[in-house]
Amino acid sequence: METLIEQTAEKSLKDKIIDLIQKEVPDYMNNFFYCMGATPLILFLVAAATGILMTFYYIPYPEKAYESVMAITSEIYLGWFIRGLHKVSITMMIFTLSLHLVRVFVTRAYKTHGELKWLIGTMLFFTTLAMGFTGYSLVYDQVSYWGMTVVMNMAEEMPLFGPPLAYLLRGGAEVSELTLLRLYDLHTKLLPVLLILLIGGHIIAITVLGFAKVEGSEGKHLFYPEHAMKVGLVAIGLLILMINLVMIFPPTIGQMANPSEVASNVAPPWYFSAVYKWITIAPRQPALFALLFFSAIFVLYPYIDRFLTERGFNMGRINIVLGTVAVAIFSMLTIWNVLF
Amino acid sequence: MGVINDNISRRKFLSSSFMALGLGFGLGMFGLRFLQFLSPKTKTDRFEEILVGSISDISDSDATVMEIAGSKIVLLKTDTGLVAFSRKCTDLGCLVSWDKAKEQFICPCHQGIYDRNGKNIAGPPPRPLDRFQVVQKGENVYVKVKTA
Ligand code: FES
Repeated sequence: METLIEQTAEKSLKDKIIDLIQKEVPDYMNNFFYCMGATPLILFLVAAATGILMTFYYIPYPEKAYESVMAITSEIYLGWFIRGLHKVSITMMIFTLSLHLVRVFVTRAYKTHGELKWLIGTMLFFTTLAMGFTGYSLVYDQVSYWGMTVVMNMAEEMPLFGPPLAYLLRGGAEVSELTLLRLYDLHTKLLPVLLILLIGGHIIAITVLGFAKVEGSEGKHLFYPEHAMKVGLVAIGLLILMINLVMIFPPTIGQMANPSEVASNVAPPWYFSAVYKWITIAPRQPALFALLFFSAIFVLYPYIDRFLTERGFNMGRINIVLGTVAVAIFSMLTIWNVLF
Repeated sequence: MGVINDNISRRKFLSSSFMALGLGFGLGMFGLRFLQFLSPKTKTDRFEEILVGSISDISDSDATVMEIAGSKIVLLKTDTGLVAFSRKCTDLGCLVSWDKAKEQFICPCHQGIYDRNGKNIAGPPPRPLDRFQVVQKGENVYVKVKTA
C-alpha cells in the first residue's frame, strides 16, 4: 500500500493527467466514419467561443437585435468573421452529428453496452437542433420572426403539454419582445448548459460502459498519444475548412422582421428544410403527428431493435434499408425545398 | 445477527427513501413556483367596437388591410356583405394577404390559399379565416375586436 502511494506521488503532473484520460481505444476508430463523435465536440467548442464573443455586442430586444446583428456583420472589426464561424460551426456540427448518427444506426452500434449512449445521443441531437432554431431566431429578420411564430404554433398543436409549453416559450399568447428574450436566454444559457451536461454524460457513458463492439475489429490502441494525435489532426483540418467556408460564404442577413407583413420566402436554414417542406405538403395534423411519431421511434430505436431481434428479424439488413430510405427522403425533401 | 443487520438496512432504506421523497417534493415545489413566475398573467379579454371608417370609403373590389388594437384585419366585401377577416392564417399563424388578380387570400408560409369568402381551398390551413364581428351604424362601420 505504502509503496503504491509513493509511486503515485513520484509521478509527474503530466503523467497523472495522462493517467486520467488514458484509455484503450478500439482500432476501428482509425476509420474516419467511426470517430465522428469527436468532430461535433470540436465544432461545439468553436461555436461556444464565437457565441460568447457575440454576446458582447448583441442586444436581445426587437429592432435593436436586428441592428446589433447588422453591426456585428458589417461594422464591427472582424464581426462578420466571428458570426460566420459561429454559423459554419453549428451547421457543420449538425451535419457531422447526423453522419455519426447514421453510422451508429447502420452498424447497430447502439446495441453494445446498453442504450444509454444512444438515448443521451439523441437528446444531444435534438438540443443541437434547438440551438439552431433559437440561434437563427435571434437575428430578428423576416425568417426569424415568422419562423418563431410558426414553430411556437407548432408546439401549441402538440397534445397535452403543447399549449403550456408554447405559452411559456412565447411568454404569452402572442410572439412579443418577451419571446425574443426567452429564446435568447435559451440559446445563451439553458441550452448550452444542457448541451454541456449531455456531452459530458455521453462521454462518461462511453468511458464507463465502453466503446461499441464492431465485428471483425478486435485490436486496441492507446488514447494517448495515438488517438489524441488523430483528434488533433481532425481539429486542425476542421479549423482550416471552417475558415475557408466562412471566407467563401460570408454570413448574410435578411430583411428586418416585419410583424405586419410576411416575406414571400421564409424558408428556414437547410437543416430544417426537410421538415419545412414536409409541413408544407402534408395536411397539418397528420404532418405534426408523423413528426412526433418519427422522433419517438428514433429515440426508442434500440428497444425496438431488441424487440424485433428476439422475434427473429434480421435487423442488420432492416437497418441498412431504413437508414437508406430515411437519408433518401430527407435529402429529397431538402433538395426539393431548396430548388423550388 | 441477521435480524440486527436487517433492522439497520431497513432503517437505512426508510430514511433514505424518506429523504428522497422530501427532496423530490421540495424541488418539485421550487420548479412549480419557478414555472409560475415564468408564465405571464393572462389578461381578461375585453371586446370593443372600434370605428374603422364609413361604408362609402371602403373599396368595393379591393381588400382593405388595417391593424386595430393589435388585431390585424382585412376588410372585404364578400358575397354575403362586408366581412372583417382576421389576417392570421388558421394554419400556423402567419399573415395572409389579398391577391387581387386571383381574388384569393394567400399565406406565403406554407402556400395556404383561401377564396374570397375566407374558405380554405388549398394548402395546410384546416379551417376558414376567422372573422371579427362587423357592426354598421348608419354610414359608420365598426369592428368588434379584442382590446387589452
Ligand atoms: S401558416 Fe399559413 S399556410 Fe402555414
